Formats: sequence, structure tokens, C-alpha cells
Amino acid sequence: MKEYRDILCPVCGCLCDDIEVNVENNSIVKVQNACAMGASKFLNFSKERLKNPLMRKNGELVPCSLNEAIDHISRALVKAEFPVIYGFALSSCEAIKVGIELAEEIGAVIDNQTTVCHGPGVQGLQDIGQVSCTLGEVKHRADLIIYWGSNPQDAHPRHFERYSLLPEGRFRGGKKDRKLVVVDVRKTATARMADFYIRIEQGKDFELISALRALLRFEDIEQEQVAGIPKEKVEELAEMMRSCEYGVIFFGQGLTQTIGKDRNGDNLFALVRDLNKFTKFLVMPIRGHYNVTGSNEVLTWQTGFPFGVDLSKGYPWYNPGDTTVVDIFRRGENDLTLVVGSDPLAHLPRRATMHILEHPLFTIDPSMSLTAMASNVVIPSAFYGLEAEGTAYRMDGVALPLKKIVEPPEGILPDEEILRRILEKVKEIRGK
Amino acid sequence: MREIKLSLKEPFIPPLDCSVINTDNFYQNSLEEIKALKIWRGNREVSLEDVFSIHEENISEQGDIKIYIEGDLSKARRIGQGMSFGEIIIKGNYGLYLGAHMKGGKITVYGDCGSWVGVEMEGGFIEVKGNVGDYLASSYRGTTKGMKGGTILVNGNCGVEACGWMSGGIVKVMGNSGIFPGIHMKGGIIYVKGDCAGRAGANMIAGRVIINGKVDDILPSFKIEEVRGSVKVGDEKIEGPFYVFVGDLSDEGDGRLFVHVNNNPHLKKYEEYIP
Repeated sequence: MKEYRDILCPVCGCLCDDIEVNVENNSIVKVQNACAMGASKFLNFSKERLKNPLMRKNGELVPCSLNEAIDHISRALVKAEFPVIYGFALSSCEAIKVGIELAEEIGAVIDNQTTVCHGPGVQGLQDIGQVSCTLGEVKHRADLIIYWGSNPQDAHPRHFERYSLLPEGRFRGGKKDRKLVVVDVRKTATARMADFYIRIEQGKDFELISALRALLRFEDIEQEQVAGIPKEKVEELAEMMRSCEYGVIFFGQGLTQTIGKDRNGDNLFALVRDLNKFTKFLVMPIRGHYNVTGSNEVLTWQTGFPFGVDLSKGYPWYNPGDTTVVDIFRRGENDLTLVVGSDPLAHLPRRATMHILEHPLFTIDPSMSLTAMASNVVIPSAFYGLEAEGTAYRMDGVALPLKKIVEPPEGILPDEEILRRILEKVKEIRGK
Repeated sequence: MREIKLSLKEPFIPPLDCSVINTDNFYQNSLEEIKALKIWRGNREVSLEDVFSIHEENISEQGDIKIYIEGDLSKARRIGQGMSFGEIIIKGNYGLYLGAHMKGGKITVYGDCGSWVGVEMEGGFIEVKGNVGDYLASSYRGTTKGMKGGTILVNGNCGVEACGWMSGGIVKVMGNSGIFPGIHMKGGIIYVKGDCAGRAGANMIAGRVIINGKVDDILPSFKIEEVRGSVKVGDEKIEGPFYVFVGDLSDEGDGRLFVHVNNNPHLKKYEEYIP
């Protein structure tokens, strides 16, 4: 039996780096320190996985060789006039880099899950700028912690324990030295732990942020209620934010995917900017998939833009609404879709997904997803952080190494290698 | 006067970047040169003639240039980009970025338009007979430069975030507007004849947002100033009375939000705050 320490957990954006794993006969038998989500992935990832490349022949997905699958995908990519490559939140940064090279080579649009997740927050950042920090700083210094439209107790179970409310920091001694505020539409598991809970009316986040910003400028609010909250309570929250020593807002999709979208992020970042006139205040998105931050980082350093990049004319062009996958699918503009580690058919709006099915669809995924079931070719890939090593970015933008702890099944390659082989084949077909 | 007619040969799947279709460009070129102009269809460069059948009529000494375009152009982009004179008439639905960076001349669309009509427009006149999408007269995402000048008339409805980061010019929407008309506005006027879905004038610093129809709510960061009898939109006088709000106070703004009194009885509670 082999024991591994300080393993990264490849599940959520917390990217906990203190997992202990015992491996026997190339299979994980014991996991320590992980949350229920993490432990479940470590122990069960190898069940129900795809072991062979598949190709659709006479309407049925049948096993084929890897070379056959790569050849088929490459030829279709070379032929396509407006291909889309989508996914990458569950790939390593190295794989994303190859994905971008492939997109540039064939003139594709490359987009990642940010587009239906924290993209609006990223756009708010572009409009206003973001005052932020790493999670270590929050652990050591924060005395006011606000979760806005996010529920880490259910979705990022160790966020409290490792980074925000509970850890003993250098200057704060756990929960007794910190105040927890939760802004949400319902009393979630996180809200039940709050010292101050604000039940906000559905879709009224922008109004509440505007009111807080006006109060910080010592203006009076000419309304009895804002976003379903009595004016006095809003004033109390503004005072709490102004008088703390070190505050931080963690926002989730309750803010970014509700009415107003990127403008909610935009206004929230402006609120935090305003608060820094009084005290130290920071804001950070609670990212979902373990390397969705990495997909933004890599795309930004390679092309200048974090998601939804159109490389069809040989140079990067970005304008969410034009170059993002949901809009492209909805307008029916792409003639090929290559999915890397994602399941758009299960997650995107129905009208958008109907178009994907009309044209060639290829999937690279470790397991059989709904998208894989509907694909023309499916290539199984290795799990990063378990069967392959690479780099991933935590939600605060800290790069951490994913380790390989077991061998993948025979013939299964990581995304990076599969994409590289496709890229080489594409270059070969185009005579480069 | 040169009249050039383009009609779409067949429907296409990938987007079509038509930035070369503008009056300035066509005026300088002969018909043969126009036919050979390159446009992007997805990731392929094709000549204009591959996509459109092109004819020239009515060559006379007087007047400048008119371009007629026919067909379903809902995947086309950037027609009339940067043009400074002449006229473009589009019959059919149209896609994105109509009259982007336009400096002068006129564009008329007999159909619906997609998003970013008049993005970063500086002058000229755009009329859309149908509805328009989001970001009318606005900026590109992530930039802070909206429409600077000129006039846009929309006979139907407009989507969200009309006139975002706008700094000058006049926009009239005869139908309804989505949320955020006049967001981050720095100048200019937007007039919405119909209803507004809310959050009018959010983060505005200067300029005027006029809502003639119903608006559910005023942002808490706006303060009532007075009730005024009428308001001017360019040369046109719009009869009120209007509640006049100042904002957006969260951005220390001094913009004005006009909301029709008779169509918004639920805003009567604000009257007690009139100084």
C-alpha cells in the first residue's frame, strides 16, 4: 500500500491541498481530510467510466481505435467554417494551452464554462476593476465575511473551515473574532450559520447594492424598503461594512446569474471600491469547477481575453453576446462543436442545444455524459489530479500542482495528449 | 447618384463579417472592384460576389451613393461600419453591429435588428422599422465608450442596456425597453415611448433618460427633484407631466431621469420627498 500526503482535491474551486490518500493495487482505498464531494470522487471516479473511443456508425456508437477517432475529428475540424471548442474547466492548464493552439490553427471560437457561470463577474471586473486578495489573507485578517448569493456549506463544504470563518489565523482566532453576513433569497445551510442574515427579494441584488453605495456617500434613501428589506436594516448593513477592519465579500451565481448579470458584478465591485475609502474591503468570486479559474487565466495570457474568444479571423476577438457559445448556438452559427470535459447538452438552454445536434459533435470526456451519448465521436480521457498531473488555479488565482496517484486504464490519455495528437493531425492534413 | 443593389444568393450557416459593405468603400470602387471585395464567412475569406448578386443602376452625376441589400441577414455583422455619407437600405432582418463607428449618412432597416446597433456611433442617422436587440447605441463589452453623436430611431422595442456608456446623441425607442436603459450614461438622450422593465439610468453620471410609459420601480440611488410639464428630445417637445429624478447618487451622478406622472400612479409616494 502506498500513502500519499498533501494531494490536491480536483472537485471544486477550493482546491483543498491537504488530502491524504491510500492506494492499493492501483486503486484508492482510503481518503482523509476530504469533504463528502471530494471523498466520493476519490473513491468512485473509476466506476462507470468510458474505456474505449467510440464512433457513430449507422446511428449507433460503436468502439473504434484512438487513431481512427482522432483522424475523423481532425478532418472534420479542417473542413469546418465556424467550429466551436467548449469546455476545459476540468482540464489542466497545459491542456487548455494546447486547446487554444488548436483553436487558432483551425480558426475556431474557444469558450469555457465561465460563460454560463462566473462570466458576468469577470465582465464586472473589466468594467470597474476588482479589489482582491488570496484566501490566505482572508484566513489571517478578515473580521467581516459576507457570502452573497453563494452557499459554500453545500457547494464548497470546506470553504468555512479552511479559508474564511473558522480557521485560526495570525490576527483572528476563529469564529469568535469574525462576523458572518449572508445575503440570499432563502435560508440556506450557510445562512443558518449567519450572525446577520438578509433575505433579499429574488432578482433585486442590484437595487440593494445601489442603496448601499448611496448610503456610503451619506445620501438618504427615499424608499421604505429596498429589495424587500426595511431601510433600517440596509442602513445597519452599510454601517457594519463601513466599520469593520477587514471585510470580504464572496459572491456566487446567486448574483451573477440573476437578472442584471454582469451589471450586478459591476455594481458590487464598485461597492467594494467605495468601501475602501473607509476600511479594507475585498471581493472574490466563489468559483465552481476546480480549474475554471485556470481556464480564464490561460486564455487571458494567451489571447488577452478570459472566455468566449473568437479566433476565426486569425486574431482574438471578444464580445460576450456575440462570441459566447450560448449565443452562437442560439443563432445557429457554428457548423461543428468539440466539447472537452463538459456537458453542454445537459446544462445549456434547450434552444441553444438543439442547434448543436444538427452538426458534427465530438466529445473528449472521462465518463459517458449526455453530450457524449449524442456525439459522433467520443474519446475517453484521464482524470486530472488522479490519473494525470498538471496545473490548476484555485478560486483566488493561486496556481497549484495536480498530482498523479493512480495509473489510467490502458490506452487512456489525458486531454493534453489527445488535443496535441488532434493538432498534429490537423497540421498534417493542412500540409504544414 | 450610384445605386448598388446586393441580394443574398443563398442562406448561410456561419456568421458573415460585412465590414466592407459601407458607402465610403463602395464609392471609391468600380462595380468589378466591389464584386471582388473580401468578406469573412466564418473562418474563410470569400469575395462579396460569392455571397451576394451585385448590380449597379442609375449612374448619374447628382447625389452620392445608395446601397440596397436584400435577404435574411440575421447572421451578418458590421454593415455600414465607419461610413460617413450616403445611404444604406436593408430589406430583411439583420444581425449584429449595424452602423458601428458610423460618422454620417443614413441606414434604414425594414425588419428586426440584433444587438449593438450604432455601437460607438459618432454621427449620422439609423432607423430600424422593427425591434432591436440588446446594447443599442452602447459600447462593446468591457469598454467605456458608447455612442458619441448622431440619431437612432427604433420603431419597435429594444433589449437590455440601451445607451450604455453613451456620451452624446439622441436615441428614440417607440416601443418598450428592457432593463438598464442609459446604464453608465455620460451624456446624450434616450427617449422610451413605451414601458421600461426597470433600473433606468443605473450608474449614470450625466444625460437624460425619459420613460413615457410605465416603469415598476426607481432605483434607490435616485432622488426626486421636481415635477416638470414637458421635456425636449432634440427638436421635439414631449408633453408631460414628468417626475424628474437626479442620479445615480451611488456614482455621484447628476443625470436626469424623467418618468411620466400619469402612467405611473404608484410613484405618487415620491411626491412627499419633493424639496
